[in-house]
Amino acid sequence: MCGMPTPDLEQSPCPSARSRFFRGVRLGLPIFLGYVPVGAAFGILATTQGFTALQAVLNSATALAGAGQFIGLSLMHAGASALTVLAATSIVNLRYVLFGATLSTHLDRTPLLGQAALAFSLTDETFAVNIDDNRRGMASGLSMAGVGFIAWIGWVTGTALGATASGLIGDPYRFGVAFAMPAMFTALLVAQAEDRKHVVIAAVAAVLAVFFALVLPGKWYIVAASVVAAAVGAAVYE
Amino acid sequence: MKASYVWIVLAGMAVANYTLRFIPIAMLSRLKLPRPVERWLSFIPVSVMAALLVGEVLRPDGAWLPPLQNPYLFAAIPTALVYRKWRSFLGTTVAGIAFFLVFRTILG
Repeated sequence: MCGMPTPDLEQSPCPSARSRFFRGVRLGLPIFLGYVPVGAAFGILATTQGFTALQAVLNSATALAGAGQFIGLSLMHAGASALTVLAATSIVNLRYVLFGATLSTHLDRTPLLGQAALAFSLTDETFAVNIDDNRRGMASGLSMAGVGFIAWIGWVTGTALGATASGLIGDPYRFGVAFAMPAMFTALLVAQAEDRKHVVIAAVAAVLAVFFALVLPGKWYIVAASVVAAAVGAAVYE
Repeated sequence: MKASYVWIVLAGMAVANYTLRFIPIAMLSRLKLPRPVERWLSFIPVSVMAALLVGEVLRPDGAWLPPLQNPYLFAAIPTALVYRKWRSFLGTTVAGIAFFLVFRTILG
């Protein structure tokens, strides 16, 4: 992380604040590509199910919670109470607690205000990109802010497009962007699986993910597979 | 849907989501975690990445696809090789989309 007087950083001078932020924006571009069409799908669905365009966009801008928003929408459409909707979306997003805990070990030098700003844009995708950047020692609070910024822009822009111009866009998936997120995760997984023990744990997590996806509802397989696979890693590779 | 109901849910969702994201970061970054917990957390990223990818590729949009008719699965293989060779996330994402379009056309 930049700003720390570590020996290996001394050859490469610390980049400016602006270049760190834009480094994050560049890293987050694949997320942008993936979020626009999914955001558009949310915008279309939300406005056809009783949200105004403004409500759809504000929901995306303030919650930034893909699956949580879709689930909230369908529950609201089914007439669920406000508390039920909130409980359901919170449960879906409990995995952010795990992500936050993991990121926290790398954010002990970031001031509280910076952490507060970064927490806002924590999603599956920004977590994956930031933790990978951090592993190579390149991440800083500012680069993470850049990743979060471009991801947020993508999600909100997509929602606005879907909510206001659904007739013009048609099916947002026909351009192949459905593979933007899988492609990015493929690259991130290759990047993370750098030595034998990480390859082994990735394989364990993949098998567990298939198993848990078959038996658990929603996105719980992500948490279940990661918690167990990481525990295997911690126990085996002491 | 009643406007007041929608606004209440939207406000609640914003607060709930933010709390879930912020509290663990704010609290845990100020603690020194025990070594075994840190070791456990060090394996979380690779595990999360593998689990996310499995979900995205084998069960896109929540529906399992048969492996031999799954353009996501086929496209993921050359995509991984492109990243291994060139180490660019954006380039890999764009290449992946192209591979996906090819396999989606081939597999119908």
